Amino acid sequence: MTGALDPATRTGGRWKAREVWCALAGAVALALAVWAASTVAVPVNSDLGLVAVLPYPFWAGVLLLNVAFVVALRGDAAGPARRAVMMWLVVVLVLVLFGTAAFVADVPRGEVAFRHLGIADALSGTPGIDPDTDAYFNWPGFFALLATVLAATGLDPVAVALWAPVLNMGLWLVALGVLTGYLTRDPRRRWLVLWVFCLGNWQDQDYLSPQAFSFFLYLVVVALLLGPLAARTPVLRGHRRVDLAGWWRGRSPGDRADLMAWWRGRSPAEPRPGYRVGALVVALLLVAVICASHQLTPFMVLIAITALTLSGRVWPSRLPLITAVVLTLWLVYPASAYLIGNPPLAEAGLQGATEANVIDRLSGTAGHVLVVQIRIVLTLVLWALAAAGAVRDWRRGRLDIRVVLLALTPLLLFPAQLYGGEMLIRVSLFALPFIALQACSVLLPTKGSPRRPSVRAAGALALTCFLLAVLTVTGRFGNAQFDVFTDDEIAAVAAVQRLAPPGSTIISAAHPTPWRSEAYLEHRARTIDDMCRSDLTTATCGPLVYDYARHSPGGAVVLLTRSSEASLVLQGASSAQGFDELEAWLGAQDGVELAFSNADARVYRVVTP
Amino acid sequence: MSGGGVTRPTLALGLAALALSVATLIGLPTPLQAVAATAVLVLLPGQAMARLTQVTDLALSALLVLALGLATLTAVSTVMFYLVVWSWQACVITMGAITILACIARARQEATP
Repeated sequence: MTGALDPATRTGGRWKAREVWCALAGAVALALAVWAASTVAVPVNSDLGLVAVLPYPFWAGVLLLNVAFVVALRGDAAGPARRAVMMWLVVVLVLVLFGTAAFVADVPRGEVAFRHLGIADALSGTPGIDPDTDAYFNWPGFFALLATVLAATGLDPVAVALWAPVLNMGLWLVALGVLTGYLTRDPRRRWLVLWVFCLGNWQDQDYLSPQAFSFFLYLVVVALLLGPLAARTPVLRGHRRVDLAGWWRGRSPGDRADLMAWWRGRSPAEPRPGYRVGALVVALLLVAVICASHQLTPFMVLIAITALTLSGRVWPSRLPLITAVVLTLWLVYPASAYLIGNPPLAEAGLQGATEANVIDRLSGTAGHVLVVQIRIVLTLVLWALAAAGAVRDWRRGRLDIRVVLLALTPLLLFPAQLYGGEMLIRVSLFALPFIALQACSVLLPTKGSPRRPSVRAAGALALTCFLLAVLTVTGRFGNAQFDVFTDDEIAAVAAVQRLAPPGSTIISAAHPTPWRSEAYLEHRARTIDDMCRSDLTTATCGPLVYDYARHSPGGAVVLLTRSSEASLVLQGASSAQGFDELEAWLGAQDGVELAFSNADARVYRVVTP
Repeated sequence: MSGGGVTRPTLALGLAALALSVATLIGLPTPLQAVAATAVLVLLPGQAMARLTQVTDLALSALLVLALGLATLTAVSTVMFYLVVWSWQACVITMGAITILACIARARQEATP
């Protein structure tokens, strides 16, 4: 079995000049990126997001960092630079790519992190868990964890949410570093996988969320499956074309019997039974916690475990069955309240999934559409590199079926659920670690051992990494015009909390709104966008919103912010003029009064008749 | 090795869990409270349980410390919410107890020839 910690990676001995220079370059790159990001003025006034307003020292820092990494990765004939240097450069990359927004603004991006803080706050303030509240209360695991950690540590919840992307990426990379150790012994490939994983991570799912936490646990489960729970198959064949073609042509009952005999003939890769049992217990605990924490990830865990088990690469053969039982039990008991109104597979279908995940997202202003296209291009580039790497490994007889299975099986989720139009994003994230691993097969040379890139190949690799970084920053922070909030918007939300009595309704123009981080259960929350999805014109939408607000028990408060207006305009749902008309019409109605305003927000109180 | 066949790391882990649980419950200044609570809620139970698995790989061991600590705290907190007995103090006490129990189990492993 391949160990997770490669003895070939240098940890001791004298520091070489190249290693010192690479470490210094990392420090300079970090200083440049942090300084440049901190000079960005909020709000961000560009359809392209942060990429359009980050000053050139930021990009100089990103370029310097990628060059330093490639120089360190190339190292010398003995291998890449020492582990401390490589780890330092990865830490800098995480801070630069995933901490950028924290250097720009001192509140978290997007709405959902605020909402998740509110759910944790609500949990800690109420007796028990009421699954009828909303979907979150059917999968409360992560929020229970968050409530406990925030209460016990006394940390500022907003600060935790602000730095959650950096923390989550750190956790993901630790897990990915370990599991990659079971898949390749090449230290260059292992470091490059971590780098490409960061560079391809535009999905923006690393904020304070159940999915980020569950993804970490998913990677740990996969690491256990590839490590202490791995199995050796009796015959090391099947990667050659002639073997697969022969098997495909002659699928007779006898062949199937051979296949079963082959599968049953596997042996545990880990010789110590006690260690295997311990790893199995840990895996089951993680599966149970994933099932309690997130809707989607347990299905991905089940698919991955099943695929690896069927391929003969996992020793405990009943693990898929146990996982399925745990998942089913969670769905039919703690999550039953949600499932009654939202049956699984109700939205299944390839056409609907394509429309919700791709077509519907390709609308809005030219800049916004370009950002969405860049996200698609970045994903396709990485998948194309992975495909090329797979072909290369296949030809050399080194294709690892485990990597292929883990990269491709997330696609099974795509047609199963629309998932609010986010399924493709989740699929690409689940596949990304293994796509990155397979892409490294084409980014590193095939000849030589260890595979040290030539100067020309290293230059091409540095350029490729820099371009991927530009695309990731563009894709990841492409919504900065509406998901980076100003202090005035945060002040307006605080005013809404003061103005809205318990039991009243808070109406925002659109998502994202940095609301609901407090008193989550005390108010109903609606957006004008959700109420008038098909038609946001004043004539249609105005009366709808006004009637809803006027007849809300406990009254209503309408919050109109710069970011929610930008969200509607950028995504093509409304225009600035149309939004202003709607606000003017609402403000002129009986019982509607302006209760708070500043440069970026207005709050209207609507009195019930 | 201590006199009873228990190794010093096991003893130190158990005693640290006990001391930090008490310190966290009493309350410390803000940055220290965060460090102590993180240790007693996540790191120490994770380390104590990871040592029970007989893992020898350093990288996997470090990963299991984090994963086991976070997963166990999630499980404990969730169960307490469902049973309507949650408080962060109860979580601290439970995680401290889990750490000490894991250390006792480890001590029994170490005492077995």
